[in-house]
Amino acid sequence: MCNFLWLASTEGIGSYAPVLIQLLIAGAVVSLLMLLTHILGPKRKTKDKLINFESGIEQIGNARKPMGVKYFIVAILFVLFDVEVIFFYPYAVNFRELGTEGFLAVLMFVALFVCGFVYVIKKGALKWED
Amino acid sequence: MKPLIATAVFAILMMFAALTVKEKKSFTHFAAILMLGLVGLNVWELADYNRLLASAQASPDLFGKMLRVDNYALWFNVLMSSCSFFYILLVGRSIEKVGVHVGEYYALHFFILCGVFLLSTYNNLLILFLGIEILSIPQYILSGSDKRNLKSSEASLKYFLMGAFSTGILLMGIVLLYGAMGTFDIHGFNFYATGTLNIMGVVGVLFMLVALGFKVSAAPMHFWTPDVYDGSPTPFTAFMATIVKVSVFFAFMRLFMEGFANLDPYWKVTVLGTITVLTLLIGNITAVYQQSVKRMLAYSSIAQAGFMMFVVIGSNAMAMKGMIIYAVAYTLATVGIFGVLLKLKDYTYDGFNGLAKKHPFLALIASICLMSLAGIPLTAGFFAKWFVIAAALEQPGTFWLVIFALVMAAVSLYYYFKVIMAMYFKTGEPELITPVTTMDKVVMAIIGSAVIVFGIAPDMLLAWI
Amino acid sequence: MPIQSYLFLSFSLFAIGVMGVLMRRNAIVIFMCIELMLNAVNLLLVAFSKVHGDPGAQVFVFFIMVVAAAEVAVGLAIIVMMFRKVNSVDINILNRLKN
Repeated sequence: MCNFLWLASTEGIGSYAPVLIQLLIAGAVVSLLMLLTHILGPKRKTKDKLINFESGIEQIGNARKPMGVKYFIVAILFVLFDVEVIFFYPYAVNFRELGTEGFLAVLMFVALFVCGFVYVIKKGALKWED
Repeated sequence: MKPLIATAVFAILMMFAALTVKEKKSFTHFAAILMLGLVGLNVWELADYNRLLASAQASPDLFGKMLRVDNYALWFNVLMSSCSFFYILLVGRSIEKVGVHVGEYYALHFFILCGVFLLSTYNNLLILFLGIEILSIPQYILSGSDKRNLKSSEASLKYFLMGAFSTGILLMGIVLLYGAMGTFDIHGFNFYATGTLNIMGVVGVLFMLVALGFKVSAAPMHFWTPDVYDGSPTPFTAFMATIVKVSVFFAFMRLFMEGFANLDPYWKVTVLGTITVLTLLIGNITAVYQQSVKRMLAYSSIAQAGFMMFVVIGSNAMAMKGMIIYAVAYTLATVGIFGVLLKLKDYTYDGFNGLAKKHPFLALIASICLMSLAGIPLTAGFFAKWFVIAAALEQPGTFWLVIFALVMAAVSLYYYFKVIMAMYFKTGEPELITPVTTMDKVVMAIIGSAVIVFGIAPDMLLAWI
Repeated sequence: MPIQSYLFLSFSLFAIGVMGVLMRRNAIVIFMCIELMLNAVNLLLVAFSKVHGDPGAQVFVFFIMVVAAAEVAVGLAIIVMMFRKVNSVDINILNRLKN
């Protein structure tokens, strides 16, 4: 009995015991259910059942066909503008110390961004319909 | 730092001009005017610095010690922007033919110049890294800008993959150096005081050497150069092979002269010496076997990189002079020969056959430029080679290197004179794709006479140092 | 944790990246391996930043990440351009440039 006492303690590694138990139960339930459906369920293999399920709509062609380059451009632009936000982290940390001068510097940084953004829009890179 | 900010502003101006202006020709005019403005700003900056220096108010450190300016670096900037100006005047019409996005091409050139100015004045490894990236990324785009040509796309992909790989190696070198030294400031490195950390610093130096050697296409990191230079649109090859390469060499020299000043001299003579020998050997010997003049010029740029390595080996006052003269001599001569090449339809040696009869002026300029590249006396190339070799000889133990370099210079005579022979002593009907305008003639005459004037009085280039 | 552990981890990542670049044929995979190299560098920078007590190295990490993002944008655009032309991202096609 003493050996199982750590399960009840609320300190140290023991405090994680409920998580472990939960994980074990969840895993057991999932594997049990999968096993049961596999054993009990009827098996009828037809051609219709093997095709991809596309919300009940008839399948049109292969899914692995080249997609429009529009998605790609938007994705690339997202990556660029998303990552540049990283420079706000050091600014946010030193926000008070940098004062007005720092604020103006960041404003200039953002202004450069807006330049890029205006260029992107004018160039029509974000236009979805042709 | 007015020119540095100006490059970025000018690039953005070009980008927005590309949105509104439709006529291709106006871009070249606009870019030439902006470039002239950039030269003016650089001269102003240099004069301003000297005026402040005279009144002892000049401070070399800028942007929180990220940059450090001196007469030397500012003069280099003036020369590089002037060379870019002549480059635009000479090849502008060919740039218009590369594709539809002419404004963007010029914008990318200005971004590259932003990297050039960062590389000439950096004082911190962060700026070295940023400079190299600002310089490289537009080049990946420029080399792939001829979208109709598969070779151009392949060159771009190859250059990009190799360039990004070398960036990774450069960063590893910077980090290891930082781990050993505890600073990114290139004046703060002390290779004697690191004790057990020394091995990390040495590995860092080695990594940086490999990465920078890659960027300047020194053997054995040269393998990308012929393919990329050959595949890229010819006007952009001219820019990549000259101003960009020379600027990275400038950064390379500053790193070894100021940053690694107290590194064991063994490095300079043995490690850099080996790279130099390989570069000279591979560049010159392979250039002999080329059929296309464009590809020959790519190999010749590797061979010239071998000579410029002497500047890094020397890393002394003489090397600083040699760097300036070599930079100008090599840039002017290469831009000149590319200017002639761009006029021709056929890039093989046979395409040059009989050029002297039909277009004697083009042939004359090409001959002057080729002789300068070969290092014939009375051209700028002679003093360029003379200065860098003198710089290397001040370092003990480089005698055998210099002898080898001279032998290789003799080999280079063969392939440079093959073009001159084709122009003057063979018969043929060279076809031009663009007519030679008065503007072209004026710019070529300026380049040709500059090559000869600097070959007689190289001290003119050293007036500001 | 001692700095040696960080060195070991980031050198391993870096070596995996280098081996990937040298051995794989798919341009996208090569590109991912290059990113792995850069991230190994980032990890080491942060570790050294702690060792030297210098936040400057962490700012360097930000710069590396941003430059890497710019490189991703340009690089993927180049790869897509190549793919639309030859319907492949295999770098063996690059050998065609040799002659």
